[in-house]
Amino acid sequence: MARTARTKERFASSLIVVGSAILITVVLAALFAPLLSSWGPEEIDPAASLAAPGGAHLLGTDLNGMDVWSRVLYAARLDLGVAVASVALAVVAGSLIGLVAGYRGGLLDDALMRVLDIFQAFPTFILALAVAALLGGGVANLIAVVALVNAPAYARLVRAEVRAIRDLPFVEAARTSGSSTWSVLWRHVLPNSLTPVRVIAPLNCGWAMLTLAGLSFLGLGIPTPEAEWGAMISLGAGDVVAGRWWTSVPPGLCLLICVLGFSLLGEGLQERADSKRR
Amino acid sequence: MRVLRFVLRRLLQLVPVLLGVVILTFLLVRVLPGDPIKTILGPNASEADAAAARARFGLDQPLWQQFLDYLGGLVTGDFGTSIQSGGAVASEMAVRLGPTLELVVIALIIALVIATVLGIWSARRAGGAGDHTVRVGALVGNSVPEFWLGLVLILVVYSVLGWAPAPSGRVDPDTNLSLITGADLLDAALTANGPAFLSALHHLMLPVATLVIVIVAPLLRSVRASALEVLRSEAYTAAATHGLRDRLLLRGYLLRATLARLPALAALVFGFAIGSTVLIEYVFSWQGFGQWALRGLLFRDYPVVQASVLVIALLYVLVFLIADVVQAILDPRVRI
Repeated sequence: MARTARTKERFASSLIVVGSAILITVVLAALFAPLLSSWGPEEIDPAASLAAPGGAHLLGTDLNGMDVWSRVLYAARLDLGVAVASVALAVVAGSLIGLVAGYRGGLLDDALMRVLDIFQAFPTFILALAVAALLGGGVANLIAVVALVNAPAYARLVRAEVRAIRDLPFVEAARTSGSSTWSVLWRHVLPNSLTPVRVIAPLNCGWAMLTLAGLSFLGLGIPTPEAEWGAMISLGAGDVVAGRWWTSVPPGLCLLICVLGFSLLGEGLQERADSKRR
Repeated sequence: MRVLRFVLRRLLQLVPVLLGVVILTFLLVRVLPGDPIKTILGPNASEADAAAARARFGLDQPLWQQFLDYLGGLVTGDFGTSIQSGGAVASEMAVRLGPTLELVVIALIIALVIATVLGIWSARRAGGAGDHTVRVGALVGNSVPEFWLGLVLILVVYSVLGWAPAPSGRVDPDTNLSLITGADLLDAALTANGPAFLSALHHLMLPVATLVIVIVAPLLRSVRASALEVLRSEAYTAAATHGLRDRLLLRGYLLRATLARLPALAALVFGFAIGSTVLIEYVFSWQGFGQWALRGLLFRDYPVVQASVLVIALLYVLVFLIADVVQAILDPRVRI
């Protein structure tokens, strides 16, 4: 058993290392995009539309004559930023709801959970799609939409944890020693109910990124000419039938690699949490 | 009897949730920006024209009256009239659901088989190189954007190899397939139309492959996890130490106990697949439910939006209900 525990630990570590390495690379590429490419992300080369890779354009140009390599790099800023911001917002909002519902219980808890039921009566991507289509695209709206569809899951996670610990001796002790409700929640209950959230959040970032790109692909997310992977794939979708790969394959590959980074990191963290618990 | 009571109780519990969905959709689609009348009349229509069109669709009524009318229609199965096309929403939706469900159901069945086989294989080699390969493979599958994967498959299998038909439509028009359910394979089988059946299969190849690859990953991970739990259980260890043959262990102990957990999972993945299908339909011009609903959303076609949102929610919660019942039948420990 000791040996399997060690292979488990080693596998978890390698997942975390590879995942982190991917994410660090993506962040660096996003930060240093201006140094890595000689074209601006929305700069049009009037001499080249749909130019094949090579020559002045490392990965060719798209229909509008914009440099694919440059756009792929700059897009990392937007995709990564929106994904992380929306998950952060979902964690904060969801935890708050879960905290209050779980600690208070009673009618408020019932009411909040019934509202979550309605939101969770939809597959998450469908919900995101419907709200984004009605609300309109743009960065701020998308952060809100992706956060909205993710928050119920966090609310339930935190609520379950809070209910499990709200009557434990240490919380009871804090209460009877005269701490205010908020101080009990903030200093004692919340920190101890965030464990599952920490494991889920990285996985969720990857999913948020796929959602954002999917919405943009359907024309509901970030409007072109802004550099975003999903919108780039959408623009290049028509080229695929004609055998032109460079307008849609590179942005999709970047998206895949970046999401994979989050998945590897999340899986590694989960594996490590599992082996500790056992 | 007990199962029936359980189903009835659950159906009753669904009523408030679905009513909430209906109210929320009805209000949201009207409160959020966008006007369906503008999309059919264009920007240059006069006020009088717009008012006439509004009256034609009952949009001049007060909100509560509109809602009551809508609710009254729903009870009798009337989803209203599409503002864009002027057709009955119920019949439009009926022919759109077939193609989408066909895609999802076929992909789900294939994915379930692959996930069960690979998941159990992987769990029995837990910690080994094969297991690690399968797990990393599942992570890659979990991370791939389905709309991009569809395009890559089109690029390779259609543009380069020429093995797949062009990504537009579900069946060759010259096979003269008559429309019954909208699910082309089924329609071809019902009318004994051999060429149409083959053509439909051919068109299904790439979209199904795309969907299978993205949904097999989460299924695989869960099958592996539950198989692992069975393998570590005392019952299994006891059976193994008694020297039962491998075949019996696998079929009688591992497979059955693992499969008992599958229904709930399949329901979850079904929802995931419905979401992915909207994107995949778009890539392959599938003209199914997803594209229809998306168009409705974009044009603020109130009745279409309300109907498609309600049907998706209904489908989703019903699938979970079915999953719970199947699980109770498979797993004698579950009491409902």
